[in-house]
Amino acid sequence: MSPLPKHLRPRYRYLAVALEAWPDAELDRPGFQAAIEAGVRALSGDEGLAAADPEVIRFAFSDGSGEAIVRTRRDAVETARAGLAAVDAVDGAPLAVCVRGISGTVRGCEERYLAGRQLRGGESTVVFDGAERPATVRGDRVDVHLESGFAGATDLDTT
Amino acid sequence: MYEAARARPAGPSTVARLAATAADCGYDGLVAANPAADRPAVDREAVAEAWGVDVVDAVVLEPEDPAAASGAIGHHRPEATVLIVRARTHAVAAHAARQAKVDVLVPPADGGDLDDVLVNAAAEHGVRLGVDLGPALRSRGPERTDAIAGLRKLRELLEHADAPYVVTGSAGSHLELRAPRELAAVAATAGFEREAVEAGLAEWGRLAERNRERLSGDYVAPGVRREGDG
Repeated sequence: MSPLPKHLRPRYRYLAVALEAWPDAELDRPGFQAAIEAGVRALSGDEGLAAADPEVIRFAFSDGSGEAIVRTRRDAVETARAGLAAVDAVDGAPLAVCVRGISGTVRGCEERYLAGRQLRGGESTVVFDGAERPATVRGDRVDVHLESGFAGATDLDTT
Repeated sequence: MYEAARARPAGPSTVARLAATAADCGYDGLVAANPAADRPAVDREAVAEAWGVDVVDAVVLEPEDPAAASGAIGHHRPEATVLIVRARTHAVAAHAARQAKVDVLVPPADGGDLDDVLVNAAAEHGVRLGVDLGPALRSRGPERTDAIAGLRKLRELLEHADAPYVVTGSAGSHLELRAPRELAAVAATAGFEREAVEAGLAEWGRLAERNRERLSGDYVAPGVRREGDG
């Protein structure tokens, strides 16, 4: 099949997406792709999903933090955005999704909205609620490991 | 714009963590909306300094019936800047809509028995209706369908009555917070304009400002305040 002439090719937009989860969450690209499709389908139906045609084209995730670039059809950016907002968990692990910006090219997306934003998490011990506990620290954000799960805190809440 | 969320001990995230994430999402303020029995501890000034986010303390009541609502509203009103009633039944919603002490009334998610009488009563008593996008964001299957249908019905009633309202994604943790543009995109599936969603998020801030002034001690009645030296 020969490539379509330029004026007939689909026009895309690239969404720079920040991801956040608890430090033990495991998330991969197919899982995230499936979650976006489920989100778009839940709010806009199969028709909306076909119109937006969202595709994860860059993906990085570790220690509960990550970034992705999601490609979508230009005329259905808001449909994709709603579907992304409706992604609340992947395989039972709660996930925060935030659209940092939108660009017409992958490169513009990376340079303007993603470059160097991701901080690596480090393990540490903090005092939280009057007891010493292990924690994953990323910048001023502190995820404290409790017996019952995690607590989301900051450097203001811990010592 | 402000967003309302549930903080520790009623959820896993501290007020500071919610505020930090809210700042990332582009909010100016965070309404810490907790049940009366689980109020969070927070250093508002430290949070404002660290992330530039105004923390508003709010109490959420979920009374079983109108009689319980009456008692709880009177009892908890002085405790918080913003008083929110989450109604699970139409009887509670109809009662709370007529209490000027209530700041925000969140009607049952599916919009079941919601009607123009209730919305008009709320508008008349200065009670803002809560447009809760939480179930549309996080529920599944038929429950989500009912939630979107409920939002659609609420929007039509609000537009018709020109009633005041607030918008929230009612996050239970920092991972459930979503940015204003994302909330607007979800609300659009129920027919809300983006400007309407932004106005509803900004309304929390106006509400907090008004109530703080009323609580400040210089306030006598709407438009009447005590001057410095009397």
